[in-house]
Amino acid sequence: MILEALEREGVEYIFGYPGGANLPIYQHLHEHPKLKHILVRHEQGAAHMADGYARACGKPGVVFATSGPGALNLVTGLATAYMDSVPMIAITGQVASTQVGRDAFQETDVIGATSSVTKHSYLVTNIAQLPRVIHEAFHIATTGRPGPVLIDICKDVQQADAERITPDRLEIPGYQLNGHVDLGRAREAALALANAERPVILAGHGVLLSRAEPELRTFAEKAGAPVGTTLLGIGAFPVNHPLSLHMTGFMGTGWNLKAVQNADVLMMVGMRVDDRVTARLADFAPKVKTFIHIDIDGSEMGKNVRPHIELVADARNALEAMTPHVGPLDAGRGKWLAQIDAWREEHPLKYTHSNGKLQPQDVLIDMYRRCRNEAIVVADVGQNQIWAALWWNYDRPGMFLNSGGSGTMGFALPAAIGAKFGRPDKAVWCVAGEGGFVMTAQELSVAVEHQLDVKIVLLNNFSLGMVRQFQDDFYGGVRSQSDLTHMPDFVKLSDAYGMPAIRVDKFEEIGPALDAAEKTKGPFLIDFRIDPEANVYPIVPLGKSLNDFWEAPN
Amino acid sequence: MTLLHTPSPHPAALPPTSPHGGEVKIRVLSVLVEDGANTLSRISGLIRRKGFHVQSISVGPSRHPGRSRMTLTIDAGHAETDQVRKQLERLVEVIEIEDVTGQLLHSRELVVAKVRSSEVGGLVELGAKVLDSGPDGTTVEFAGEGKDVGDFIDELLHHGVLDVVRSGPVVMRRTA
Repeated sequence: MILEALEREGVEYIFGYPGGANLPIYQHLHEHPKLKHILVRHEQGAAHMADGYARACGKPGVVFATSGPGALNLVTGLATAYMDSVPMIAITGQVASTQVGRDAFQETDVIGATSSVTKHSYLVTNIAQLPRVIHEAFHIATTGRPGPVLIDICKDVQQADAERITPDRLEIPGYQLNGHVDLGRAREAALALANAERPVILAGHGVLLSRAEPELRTFAEKAGAPVGTTLLGIGAFPVNHPLSLHMTGFMGTGWNLKAVQNADVLMMVGMRVDDRVTARLADFAPKVKTFIHIDIDGSEMGKNVRPHIELVADARNALEAMTPHVGPLDAGRGKWLAQIDAWREEHPLKYTHSNGKLQPQDVLIDMYRRCRNEAIVVADVGQNQIWAALWWNYDRPGMFLNSGGSGTMGFALPAAIGAKFGRPDKAVWCVAGEGGFVMTAQELSVAVEHQLDVKIVLLNNFSLGMVRQFQDDFYGGVRSQSDLTHMPDFVKLSDAYGMPAIRVDKFEEIGPALDAAEKTKGPFLIDFRIDPEANVYPIVPLGKSLNDFWEAPN
Repeated sequence: MTLLHTPSPHPAALPPTSPHGGEVKIRVLSVLVEDGANTLSRISGLIRRKGFHVQSISVGPSRHPGRSRMTLTIDAGHAETDQVRKQLERLVEVIEIEDVTGQLLHSRELVVAKVRSSEVGGLVELGAKVLDSGPDGTTVEFAGEGKDVGDFIDELLHHGVLDVVRSGPVVMRRTA
């Protein structure tokens, strides 16, 4: 009954792990060949796989886990998806409804434990609720601002016979979608931007979620306004476009931060305006006279920055409604764009490569040269994430996946596996540091079992690089517990899992290693032994304003 | 039961203070919610994790079957005040929500108090009703809006308060 409902919702893959409280579901899995079940090695891996799958192909990722520890192992993965508005359905087994509350074996209040990291959740104690619940869950997970929805199903319900499998008509009185755009407000916003002397547009994940990249591009070109993206908004606007400001925020590009800090009108589309974007809030975009904020979630309005013009709407609908009201450009705009070009010249992305050590940027530049925009890059969290964000010129959505909001180490490998299931037609590169990689490395078994073409680029600096950089720069230079000298030999580790791997120490070896990865079918790992002192730049010192960004030393 | 002999005001009579210090940013919300096992914990969980603070909460059945009416008085804490409504609105269990802060309302709170004294004329004068009376004291009830409740509790202090319970306000927009 549960499996039939999933088939009806168009589910293709389930990432899961069986256990005592969901065995009744697993008993019938083989009767549903359309549902492909991927057996993970840890439930957190399942959640990240479903997440990567959803980010890559746009369909909701589905996860199965048993009660208690199984379900609790999902929590980090749910939080990751929740922070980044990723559609996901988690189906967890629960002890029998008559056992609930008796501290039965492997009983945990999963609804209670996951309420803060799910968009919604259900405890199903009666089979009659199930068709409605499953249908509602998919609707809620995938519409509006997407997010994970958890369905906790008591074991006796899983075993009950259903009389009716067709769901009721959807009727969720407490869940209303913002369908229409306030056209007057859209016009007002468009005119404010059109009449600005120094406009800047920042685009977030919401632009990707509403597939509004073409509309954003049309609007920006017509308005002559430069566009930066957030870390999660990468792909919303081509980095090589003349109007691109690349990434914003406290590790954003110098010319982006200059533009934001000097803008007179700042339009923020599909983003939360969090602390990583604003740095010190009091000094964020201090010259702005008009903040325009567009987001599908009304609670984002004024949560961090109070906009003068707010549009609670889907990004695509909003941009469509605004476009007729902008252009042609007045002469003053040329001066602003020329100023931005000058900042781009003055504050380019740069890195040190004079010390003879292997630099992570060299690896990424070579990867980009071969893949261009035909490969999906899944980054982990830390320095590797920011390098992968800045040193590829992403030009389309869905090509750069990372845990932006939650910053979950260990995300990359399972998410890359999920992404490959979602987009088997694309090359998938997993970029990770060795610290995050070992947190979920057990999922290599999944990549090997399914012979997935997932290429793992390990940027191994023998330390928790971002932590080490912060300690060096912002915590008195005291390196505390950031050293990772005792780590496995990653080539041997790969071998133990049954997959090929090589180690690279020198610049000259980058090309041949990437060649080997590309030529080998199935998973492949390259252990790049990078400069342990390599840092992320630009960076805004903690607690400082975006004006105070540091650049790479010459 | 604690005997309250001290002349300082009863805690229930004190003006609300913010747990975060500084200005109290009180919002009064009238909320129609789904009756469900999870509704109350969802709402209280959200209030906690957003850094809001509950001043009062009252729940009862609404005229719609399967739905309850909640009246919440919430301190927005460090958040912007409109976040209280906006965040609650995101919950699927919340069907309708109205921020009625500062609007023309009928606001009523029920107070039931036990006092040592059997002479409760002053309380009755303020509108209290005597529920019972005996050698150990007198139980009275009082319903009124914020200021009247404050005055009533001040008056209670003169009668040797033994115990007092308050319902938290329920509100309704005025018809005129």
